[in-house]
Amino acid sequence: MILTLAVIFPLSSAFVIPLLHLYGSRGLRLFLPIMGLGAFVLTLAAAASGFGDYALAFFGGWPARLGVVFVADGLSSVFLALAAFGCGASFLYFYEQMGTGPWRFYVIFFLLQASMNGVLLTGDLFNMFVFYEIFSLAAYLLVSYSLTWQAVEAGLKYLVMGTVGAFFILLGAAYAFIATKTLNMAALAASFPQMPKATLIVIAACMVVGFSLKAGAFPFHFWLPDAHSSAITAVSALLSGVVVKVSIYSLIRVSLLFFGDALPSVFDVITVLGVLSLLGGHLMASRQQDIKRLLAYSTVAQIGYIMIGVGMGTATGIAAAVFHSFNHMLMKSGLFITAGRLAEEIKTRNIQDMKGLYYHRRGMVLAFTVLAAAIVGVPPLNGFMSKWYLVVASVEKRSFLAALALVFGTVISASYYIRVLSVFYTPGEGSSEHESRRPVLAIAALFSACCVVLGLLPFFTPIWELFVEVGSKALNTKDYIAAVLLK
Amino acid sequence: MGLLLLCLGIGWWLWKGVAAMEDPEFIIGPAAYYIINTAEETGAANIVAAILFDYRGIDTLGEASVIYTTVCGVAMLFSKSKYKRSSAGLSFIARRGVSFLVPFLLLYGSAIILMGHMTPGGGFQGGAVFATVTILLCIVFGSSFEMSRIKPKTKETIESLGGLFFVFLGGVGLLAGAGFLANTAAGFPRGQVGNFLSAGAIPLLNIAVGMKVGAGLSTIFYSMVRVLELEFGEQMSEVEGNDKN
Amino acid sequence: MIKISYATAIFVFCIGLYTILSKRNLFKTVIGLTIMESGALMLIVTAGYVHGGVPPLIPMEGQAVNPLPHAFTLTAIVIGASDVALALALVIKVHRRYKTVDLDKIRGLKE
Repeated sequence: MILTLAVIFPLSSAFVIPLLHLYGSRGLRLFLPIMGLGAFVLTLAAAASGFGDYALAFFGGWPARLGVVFVADGLSSVFLALAAFGCGASFLYFYEQMGTGPWRFYVIFFLLQASMNGVLLTGDLFNMFVFYEIFSLAAYLLVSYSLTWQAVEAGLKYLVMGTVGAFFILLGAAYAFIATKTLNMAALAASFPQMPKATLIVIAACMVVGFSLKAGAFPFHFWLPDAHSSAITAVSALLSGVVVKVSIYSLIRVSLLFFGDALPSVFDVITVLGVLSLLGGHLMASRQQDIKRLLAYSTVAQIGYIMIGVGMGTATGIAAAVFHSFNHMLMKSGLFITAGRLAEEIKTRNIQDMKGLYYHRRGMVLAFTVLAAAIVGVPPLNGFMSKWYLVVASVEKRSFLAALALVFGTVISASYYIRVLSVFYTPGEGSSEHESRRPVLAIAALFSACCVVLGLLPFFTPIWELFVEVGSKALNTKDYIAAVLLK
Repeated sequence: MGLLLLCLGIGWWLWKGVAAMEDPEFIIGPAAYYIINTAEETGAANIVAAILFDYRGIDTLGEASVIYTTVCGVAMLFSKSKYKRSSAGLSFIARRGVSFLVPFLLLYGSAIILMGHMTPGGGFQGGAVFATVTILLCIVFGSSFEMSRIKPKTKETIESLGGLFFVFLGGVGLLAGAGFLANTAAGFPRGQVGNFLSAGAIPLLNIAVGMKVGAGLSTIFYSMVRVLELEFGEQMSEVEGNDKN
Repeated sequence: MIKISYATAIFVFCIGLYTILSKRNLFKTVIGLTIMESGALMLIVTAGYVHGGVPPLIPMEGQAVNPLPHAFTLTAIVIGASDVALALALVIKVHRRYKTVDLDKIRGLKE
């Protein structure tokens, strides 16, 4: 029941908000924080229910092979927790900045959250496609929300490339249906090893291309810098932190369930894409003068890190990739919130115009420093921990090219983040001493603190073993099939 | 030229994937179950409607949410038009003809929605017919006439109420303990196959979806037409200005 | 016989892909999206065909065709139409800014 509510509650909030706006706007001011809090709590509850054993919810009372089933396991739990925190932070930022006036934003926001929970929970391929399209449309709209010409063009580019990716996913699902006449993920996983090789290659390629287009991996990342830099700050944090991770989750789920036994060379392709994204993203980021574009290219590179972890295909690799996704959400949302707020207050996004910010806005710049150090990989922060585990995983699998690329990428990222920080700390002319408002500072400080805490935790608690267990559970397709089909 | 060869190469490689599979002679998988058991389990005569609203009802909720997102987004993109000008509409003959047709069109749309569990049709198709009626009124009579007959706020209310009605019907199933969007298991009356009052919650779900889709598509068209008439009005005043000089 | 239908669907899909990648006019890109979607859906519908089948309505005389692709196609058509509607709305907004929908001219105006 919790799994159903995690999707239905934000969805009904999105349906109720226009009625509240038309027939009683004072009710809006009362109910919006309740809806946001409710969505946050329900998503975390769904995450908690999936941590031990598989949690299932059957829609309409039909068994899995007839209807749609929601499955929560360890992999979904981590990503649900990630989505809860990311969406919660963006909601708070936007609510503090704009209040309850722009009600259409909240409608689209709740639809985004509901459909992301749906993708993370569903156990049916076509249902995943439907929820995927809901949150993609919501993401295109959120990018163009500010209605500046830059944002509208970025939204159009994102829409065209994202829809092409969606149709490739639809094509892959169509081929899977033609081969097995069923669309339940567990039933498909059971019948994939018997398919002819040519069909397997087609489905694998369509799925990998479709999900990489949506996630922003290297040859298909052209929409990402425009979209993430032209959006307003709350939306940039949401997109870079949470939305691309959902595409990564789908990639992990599909490749592990369907191609783990049948076509292992898919993982090598994912590793290659990861290495290309890493190098391409870091190299392009070091040439940027606009701070939000720099952070967007850094997202492309970090997606490359995660894909290298996925491509290893071992429990350590998956665990490292999942850990890095969670850390990256904390770091990148925090970076976008701080950098975005600074850029809004100084009315420019050019790095060179931000000289000497440290002396006027200490709190924000300090938070930015901690987060940047975390994303570069300074020990003992959490970025270092997850990158270390990624290198360990790739050395375990004898993939020395990937390990070398990881280290090389870290060096390049250090170079451009140090460039940004040096501009912040040089003494320069500027405005008066002024600190940002409390709630925004609180969110940024919270994320920086989480980075420190998560970095130190692996030394004191068995949190890494938790992630490894998540990874090995995700690799265990037979348990998944048994749990879903035999209820 | 190279791009065309690339696309044809992708096509050939896709074809190899399809040709490797052989077609079975008879239906396997869940479809066989649906064909045999739909009548007893749901009471609907239209198997596709039973799949859409009973077995896989959550897909239909997702699809209705897609339309909802698009409508909200298009209304948001075009919400800042400065003033309203209406087009002139078409001639007297067109107006009279459409006035004769509109009641029949409304009847046709209602029939498609209400009989969706017996004949091909259902909420989406009927909602599209309702939206077509408002589009015809917009084109033939001018958009300010259409707006005065059915206000945009009314359309928003109908759309949200349709969505909430759908979720409410699903919630009935959740409260009865049978899972969200359960049909006969949640106590909706099954009725006799082929009767008008049968198939449990499926006619009600059809009505909810029809309300949502009709109001939604109509809002999309109205938002776009307002913008285009605004531009046309600006160009016309430019041309008139040039004529005067 | 059914193989010809598959081949046609794949051909339509590739024509749509080519249109999106190569045309310079924004409207033609949007049309390419529609064509691509039609190709993928034709593939799904063809998969449900059974020789000598009748429509899946309850007073059936004979073997019904597979009803599952029909349900998928209905859902996917609505999703594709919503995507295209949003794309057209964004193209209208771009046109208001640049007074043209030619991608080369738009790129030229931006520099």
